[in-house]
Amino acid sequence: MRRLQPSGAGPVAWCGILLATTLALYLFQHVLWLVLPFLFGLIAYYFLYPPMQRLMFAGFSQAAAANITVGVFALLLVVCFVLVLPWFAAHAVSVQDTGQRYLQGGLALLDDTLRALEARSRFMRDAHVADAVSSHIAAAGEGFAQERLPALMLGVAAWLPSFLLAPFLAYFFLRDGRRFQRFLARAVPNAFFERTLHLLYEVDRTTRAYFQGLIKLTVLDAACLAAGLWLIGLSSPLMLGLITAVLAWVPYVGSILGCAVVVMVAATDFPGSPSVAYAAVGLFVCVRLLDDFVFMPLTIGRSLKMHPLVTVLMIFVGGAVAGVAGLLLVLPVLGVVMVIGETVSIVAADPRLHARHAHARRLRLQSVTRDLG
Amino acid sequence: MRLFGRDDDRAALQPLRQIKLFSSLTARELKVVQALRHERQYLAGEIVFDEGDEGQAIYAVVEGEVEILRADGNRQQRLALLGSGEVFGELALLDQAPRAAQARAHSDCRLVVFFRADFMSLLETHPKIASKIALALARHLGGRLRQANAGARQEGHL
Repeated sequence: MRRLQPSGAGPVAWCGILLATTLALYLFQHVLWLVLPFLFGLIAYYFLYPPMQRLMFAGFSQAAAANITVGVFALLLVVCFVLVLPWFAAHAVSVQDTGQRYLQGGLALLDDTLRALEARSRFMRDAHVADAVSSHIAAAGEGFAQERLPALMLGVAAWLPSFLLAPFLAYFFLRDGRRFQRFLARAVPNAFFERTLHLLYEVDRTTRAYFQGLIKLTVLDAACLAAGLWLIGLSSPLMLGLITAVLAWVPYVGSILGCAVVVMVAATDFPGSPSVAYAAVGLFVCVRLLDDFVFMPLTIGRSLKMHPLVTVLMIFVGGAVAGVAGLLLVLPVLGVVMVIGETVSIVAADPRLHARHAHARRLRLQSVTRDLG
Repeated sequence: MRLFGRDDDRAALQPLRQIKLFSSLTARELKVVQALRHERQYLAGEIVFDEGDEGQAIYAVVEGEVEILRADGNRQQRLALLGSGEVFGELALLDQAPRAAQARAHSDCRLVVFFRADFMSLLETHPKIASKIALALARHLGGRLRQANAGARQEGHL
């Protein structure tokens, strides 16, 4: 029987997809201790997948390739940890002082800039903007140090063990991912098997493209920022570029925070010349534009195939529903829910598949009741 | 207890050995292919896929028989009856074109299924195995073409 292929998901299905994404973000917010290690495990999995594939290309089995890849990665982490820990222990106090110094440098730049603006604008001078902002920041900083900081430090300490889950998850994703896929496929009735398996492959393809795109985007961002900061003359350009690129994983908020870090460093390294800090802001804006219009479409944009309006709308919804975690999770969750929702709506709306499934059930019933009279 | 169950290599490789597409593969290469396969069981009369379905996978008969049917007006014309070791739906490995005919289990049967996406990843990770399968597939399609030509000659079209 020749039949027309069903068209894509309709408006009702799309409403369901957006609703399911919002609901998932709301639920994930309550189990972040599990969701974030899972997310980092997925990032590690997609980061380690290409080297594992190369080992398989060289003739290793999937299990052996996974063991070698994760083993080498763990060894590198241990070596880095062993090298960095003594240095960190010796410089812990100076690291804290450096952080304090950069914060002071950033605040001094802000104060200088506001006072320069006050000197030129009567309206700002009359409003005492510089004094008001300084007193607000001082109050907020004091409140943060007294009320929020201990709770935040305790929270980070409580979360550290769950982050140790990430490498374990990555290892089992690498070693048993395909076996798990087959395990899931066994539960699917014959009539829906081919279409549903295609769905699993699409989910895998989408998440792989998203996270590998994210890793490529981070490398490109970090390289561009590091080169620009090196040209401006800032200290530790590579480290700053990397921190800023990783912070950009959180849409909007991460970018603003990254820019603030770069400006603080610029203001502290060159206290007498605010032009360096302005140049750093200019560089940051240029890299963001390059990121939004060139790098992102080349890396992540292609993976999700989503309308920009939907993306922006869902970023706002994610932020409103689950805060910073929502901003971080919204795009990968939307990508996966979108693939599942589109396929489920197509399968559910296909009467032929349901008829085939009903036919198969009748045949199974006949086969087991043949001798019952 | 193993949650997803490791495969018993010898028992699992046996059905793959008899499939013509994999006849040139070594035992080590078969193990790689084995990791990609799905197994399905169909009852006599059950539809494997319909004409016009989007093809995503290639099927091979391990046990039983599968008939390939094409709608001819209100009747269904049988194009082939495939037994153990035979493959069908092979064009799905090459493109995502709609299925050209319906496949239906003629008797209770056990099939192994390979997805196009897995074959594509095999091309990247194990090109030697993928090229052996591609060569066997080309021979298989060549055989089908020769059969079709012979049929057309008999009917006087060529």
